[in-house]
Amino acid sequence: MPRGMHKSRTLRRVFVKTPGGKTTLHYRKRKPSKAICASCKKQLAGVPNQRPYKMMTMAKTAKRPERPYGGVLCSPCTRKLLQQKAHQSVEEKK
Amino acid sequence: MSIYEIGRICVKIAGRDAGRKCVVVENVDDIFVMIDGDVRRKKVNIRHLEPLAEVIKIADKASHAEVKAAFEKLGLAVWDKKSKKQTERPKQIRKAKKKVVEEKSKKEQKAEKKEAKAEQKEVKKETAAEVSVEEKQEVEELSAGETVEAETKEE
Repeated sequence: MPRGMHKSRTLRRVFVKTPGGKTTLHYRKRKPSKAICASCKKQLAGVPNQRPYKMMTMAKTAKRPERPYGGVLCSPCTRKLLQQKAHQSVEEKK
Repeated sequence: MSIYEIGRICVKIAGRDAGRKCVVVENVDDIFVMIDGDVRRKKVNIRHLEPLAEVIKIADKASHAEVKAAFEKLGLAVWDKKSKKQTERPKQIRKAKKKVVEEKSKKEQKAEKKEAKAEQKEVKKETAAEVSVEEKQEVEELSAGETVEAETKEE
């Protein structure tokens, strides 16, 4: 029987094969949710969702795309925003 | 004639240089153009560019220096390479070679010591021989003196 604290689904279950050949059940913390675009709410590509201790070991360049609004907006939304800004600057000059 | 003519100022809307202004330097084909300015000089797809109304006068395949001069006139920033100069690696001197030299010197030292010892022995032998000759002479002198004294006493 599992412990009372392990009856809830707060922790995820991982089956681990021991050196003796038996499979045992381990309980691990769940991963954080995937990053989403601030504009269209789609999942962002190139942004890992790992536990903070793993994210701390990663390089800054490995944690988000290296472009303006990288890790905040998806690429189509970034394009739209930059196009809008370019048009605005043209109108302002007129 | 496409809108991406030579000298057309555009905004890059994709990639690392997104949001920066650039100028078309060369038309590679219908899809690709060469850009320069506040971006890295490179061949890009025209879908990654947003054209602006301005067109500047620059030559076809203009160099980075020409583009830089034109952009400075307009008061725009220019991307400059910040490449580092390669420094020479510090060379390590092998210790093994030194040891070989030391071993040789030790051998030489041993040989020198041997020679020195042999020389010392020879010198000692010579001195011993000289001393023995001198002692003999002294003994003879002393014996001669004693005989003279004895003769004088007899007289």
